[in-house]
Amino acid sequence: MWIYEKKLQYPVRVYSTNPALAQMILEQFGGADGELSAGIRYLTQRWTMPTNEGKAILTDIGTEELAHWEIIGTIVWKLVKDASPEQIKGTPFEAHFVNHGKSPFPHDASGVPWTASYINSKGDPIADLHEDMAAEQKARATYDWLISISDDPGVTDALRFLREREIVHFQRFGEALRIVQEEMDKKKYY
Amino acid sequence: MDYGYYDRNRRMELARAYVPFQRLKQVYDPKEALMKGTLFPELYMPYKKDWEDVKGGGYYE
Amino acid sequence: MSNYMDREQKNLLLEIMEYSFALVETNLYLDTHPSDEGALKLHNAYSQRYQELLSIYEAKYGPLRYTQMSGCPWAYINDPWPWEIDFDN
Repeated sequence: MWIYEKKLQYPVRVYSTNPALAQMILEQFGGADGELSAGIRYLTQRWTMPTNEGKAILTDIGTEELAHWEIIGTIVWKLVKDASPEQIKGTPFEAHFVNHGKSPFPHDASGVPWTASYINSKGDPIADLHEDMAAEQKARATYDWLISISDDPGVTDALRFLREREIVHFQRFGEALRIVQEEMDKKKYY
Repeated sequence: MDYGYYDRNRRMELARAYVPFQRLKQVYDPKEALMKGTLFPELYMPYKKDWEDVKGGGYYE
Repeated sequence: MSNYMDREQKNLLLEIMEYSFALVETNLYLDTHPSDEGALKLHNAYSQRYQELLSIYEAKYGPLRYTQMSGCPWAYINDPWPWEIDFDN
């Protein structure tokens, strides 16, 4: 089961009001390679992942990704909470605003809504772990692009934190793959 | 489990991906770890803005 | 806007966030290295400190988890909520 702890994983600081940047940050809120995809993907794969290590790492990284989803939503909200309609008009956030107001919503930077088509769970541990490693690199690359366009130092700082997490997650999924491969090798010989 | 054995003695097969196991050495103190995004110096690979890079953005080393 | 948290409460919360994060790191490491005794020692030391800090914080400012005790009224719902906190002021 899941328990909520009433704190962010990282202290998010946002120094500006910037609806255009907020719309770009939504890419990690509801986009294909974003935190929601990551969380749902890993938690979905749990049921058919062999080895205790494999089940544990999918559970714990999946859970951490939901905490990251919360950070992204927080960044978006802080960027727009004080925005007047004049500041929102003419920015990419305007289309989001007329549907959702200032509330973060799981779609990507282009407004495409989140879908389970973004994730895969093949019930095959080798396929699933490679999917997870690829997902971490895609997320890391997305953070590279977002960092390059962010002009708010607080936002950039939070993005750097999240980017580093993807690198660590890649390492853990790589280790899980080694463990699962070893286990499956053992089973080949009777 | 001796992870050194995992990496040293294991024969590598074709058509497989291998990520080396991390071995715990030094750690950052919790304050610095949170700022950097990891407890482990060997996993700290920050974004570098390198416009000459073919990727056009940045990469980690 | 009730996003104000005084310096003392904020500093304690930040320390809790730091230990909580260290524990996530040892947790993930141990998930793939379950027999690493050095990592376990480190994890347990962080865990002990984390629980001490939580006890102090929750006794003074109310629960951060639904499982914990509270005075009346139920302090778990108190502002600021995490996304409302201004970490600088």
